[in-house]
Amino acid sequence: MLPEPFTPQFLSQLETLRLRTRKEFLGSHTGNYSSPRRGTSLEFADYRRYAPGDDLRYLDWGIYARTDRLYIKLFREEVDLFAYIFVDASASMAFPSPKQKFLPASHIATAFSYVVLANHDHVKLHLLGNSFTHNASPFYRGRRRITDCIKFITSSIPEGPLELATALAEHLRSLRRPGKAILISDFLMPAASYQQGLNVLRGFNLDIAVIQVLTRQEVDPPFSDGALRIVDSETNAEIGFQWDAGARQDYQAKLAQHNSQIRSFCHQSGIHYSLYVTDRELDDFIFATLPAIRLFK
Amino acid sequence: MEFLNPAALYGLLALPLLLIPYLIRRKPKRVIFSSLLLFTEPVKRAGGRPLGRLRLPLIFFLQLLLLTLLILALGEPVFSLRASNIAIVLDNSASMQTLENQQTRFALAQEKARELLADLGVAGKVDLYLTAPRLEKVRGATLEPAEAAGVLAALTPYDLADTPIDYQSVLSQMAKERKYDRVFLITDHPAAGQTDTLRVITVGQPKDNFAVSSFSISHASLVGPRLEATAEVANFSTKDERIRVALRGGGAVIANREMVVAAGKTAQTTFAGLPAYPYYEVEIEARDALPVDNRRFAVPPVAQNLRILGVSPRPQALNSLRSIAGVSLDLIAPQEYDKIDRSGYGLEIFHYAAPPVLPGNPALFVLPPDDNPLVDLEKPVSRPAVSSWREPHPLTRYINFALFRPAFSRPLRPRIAGESIIESPAGPLVFAAERRGLRQLVLGFDIFPYLGRENLPVSVFTLNLLEWFFHGSGAEGRATGAPLTFSYTQQGNFLLTPKGDKITLKPGVNNFPATYFQGIYQVDRGAQRELFAVNLKNNNESDLRQPTPIELRDVSSGGGRVSALFSIWPYLLLISLFLLLVEWFVNPRPLRTRSG
Repeated sequence: MLPEPFTPQFLSQLETLRLRTRKEFLGSHTGNYSSPRRGTSLEFADYRRYAPGDDLRYLDWGIYARTDRLYIKLFREEVDLFAYIFVDASASMAFPSPKQKFLPASHIATAFSYVVLANHDHVKLHLLGNSFTHNASPFYRGRRRITDCIKFITSSIPEGPLELATALAEHLRSLRRPGKAILISDFLMPAASYQQGLNVLRGFNLDIAVIQVLTRQEVDPPFSDGALRIVDSETNAEIGFQWDAGARQDYQAKLAQHNSQIRSFCHQSGIHYSLYVTDRELDDFIFATLPAIRLFK
Repeated sequence: MEFLNPAALYGLLALPLLLIPYLIRRKPKRVIFSSLLLFTEPVKRAGGRPLGRLRLPLIFFLQLLLLTLLILALGEPVFSLRASNIAIVLDNSASMQTLENQQTRFALAQEKARELLADLGVAGKVDLYLTAPRLEKVRGATLEPAEAAGVLAALTPYDLADTPIDYQSVLSQMAKERKYDRVFLITDHPAAGQTDTLRVITVGQPKDNFAVSSFSISHASLVGPRLEATAEVANFSTKDERIRVALRGGGAVIANREMVVAAGKTAQTTFAGLPAYPYYEVEIEARDALPVDNRRFAVPPVAQNLRILGVSPRPQALNSLRSIAGVSLDLIAPQEYDKIDRSGYGLEIFHYAAPPVLPGNPALFVLPPDDNPLVDLEKPVSRPAVSSWREPHPLTRYINFALFRPAFSRPLRPRIAGESIIESPAGPLVFAAERRGLRQLVLGFDIFPYLGRENLPVSVFTLNLLEWFFHGSGAEGRATGAPLTFSYTQQGNFLLTPKGDKITLKPGVNNFPATYFQGIYQVDRGAQRELFAVNLKNNNESDLRQPTPIELRDVSSGGGRVSALFSIWPYLLLISLFLLLVEWFVNPRPLRTRSG
């Protein structure tokens, strides 16, 4: 039984989508994505001089007629895609409650997984939590494995702090094939921290997409005016704060600046970026926003 | 603007309590947030001082205003319209002599009254009333304010107890009948509630006080010549007090005694072996607020040898009284009663006889005939059982009523007011009355002959009644306000009051009701003088701790031509409701903290 947003209608809409990649990867099987290798697809790639032993079916007879030389037509190889979906499972993803933040994030991950599985590609889910815990699923292939994806992702509880770069490096250690990396997180961490993490992904020659998930409570904190002791959900650090209309404006300005920095860094690094506030409809985000940033074909 | 319920304004003192929830709320709320990343700068506005600066939101000031308005509304504020016809009722009871910072409460009341007169304006009319000895207008005619001020200055308080008056109904009725715009009662009693027309102005504060609550002179025994004085001192305060009691005779101190009186209690002391003086005075040395109750007066019993006139058709039976030491007895037949001078007798005993009118001396009636002026007699009963008796009472002291069985009796049916002392199932056997200061006792059985130890219960009763008559001659003194009755005054006799006023008495029986001051009242009969001790005998006047409040219910008095007050509290309530609505809009959303 799939969770609520994954109705048959929603799934059939997802099946119409296909992840777009900006890079060419070496796949394991024939698929729909371009490979740097020459192969047998219908897409022409290049010519080369005929050498004995080449398949005569690929001789370009037109060139031979004009130039009296033998050339072999080369075609692109189309391979399947390996997608790695990283989901932030630190304690901050449970604010104000797992249902309000982590669950929407896992729904996005599930939607991406289904898009990949529906295209007979490979998907692997990674939960980024405590950096010393390696929590990753096996590769799934075939749309029926969507239930395994859901089971894997819903079995986890967001808790503990997160060092993004360390956690990603730990997960990437076992990664053998490059592919598409999708990182889903609230990115409520210092710029250096997320930049370091994204650079780690870039270093593995992955095509990266970033989905920032925030709740409405994080966009507009519902505190009453007055003195507050604000506790960090991950580190339990406390800070005294006088909350009022001015502080609310300051906070929102800082958040906007923070998000802008992430967007700017992603743009400069060739990373797809999108912000999802969890009170928004999921299908609207999947079918309108993500195609708009050219994450889907 | 005035307040009909000014006590409610004490609620304003509680307003600072409103700060408490804000001070508590000021303690930082602990809330969990996903990350502190965007809260990196602790806001300096929280303050450099350890406790920070108290920042009060707008809602606090709205609440403060709301509470203030509600308390003011509870105080029932009114705008006073200028009254032109008023009555000022001054409490002139003894407690108004209490000192409040060198001034008596009555003087304060006079000041308040003068202020009211000053507010009245030249065209105003005023009636002045005093409450003691009864609620009465001071002058018959309505006064101009200036004239009233002159009359007011001449008024003094009396040594009288408060007159029991239902001020609500009496003053309302007065306002209605005489069309007063306002009636002001100036007293030392607090008021519970006010009305449009009736206003109570309270002067004075609760105070500790000490008083001589009782003082009497008596003989140490029925026949002995020795006198003794008994004084009782009451402590109307919250702490035990050592009090010095001085006994004076003939103006000089003849004895002193120091005693400790517990808080809220009384203590008694007895001075024995007193020399003979015309009257005695006891005074306590206490620096308290009310001096008038620190003194009491008493006169000794009139004579040691009780002179008795016996009137009986069977005088032999009364002869037995001569066996009692100190009793001097003259026996006559009933038909001789009108022919003799009865002025020297302390008691007249009518044995199976009765005069047509009550005698001018204390009298004992033993089984009087049917045509007596006091009682009807029921059918005879032999050996009646005693079913009840007054206790404690001087007449029933030391009597064993199990043995008290007269051989013959006729139960009584009184025709005048009095009290039944001993009762049988068929009716009273002993009936006591007091008229014009003279005691009368009627017996439904014969106590004579006096048999001494042979019939002890009846003999004890006989001695009790002699002592009752003996002490009934004025030794305990009278209460202020109670009338004095003098018999057989002649031309030229006069009465001298404690204030030194000389009042000429008419020949015959005289009644002097104006005993408004305590002290010794002296009837001068030429060579003979008769003294009466009059004292303030009311502990309620002496107890200044918690005066009884005057209840004024908020009912329409119907007095005056128009209401002199314009109530504004309903408007305050309306404003409060409006503020409540504003608060509803201003109040921020409730704080939500992280759950789960």
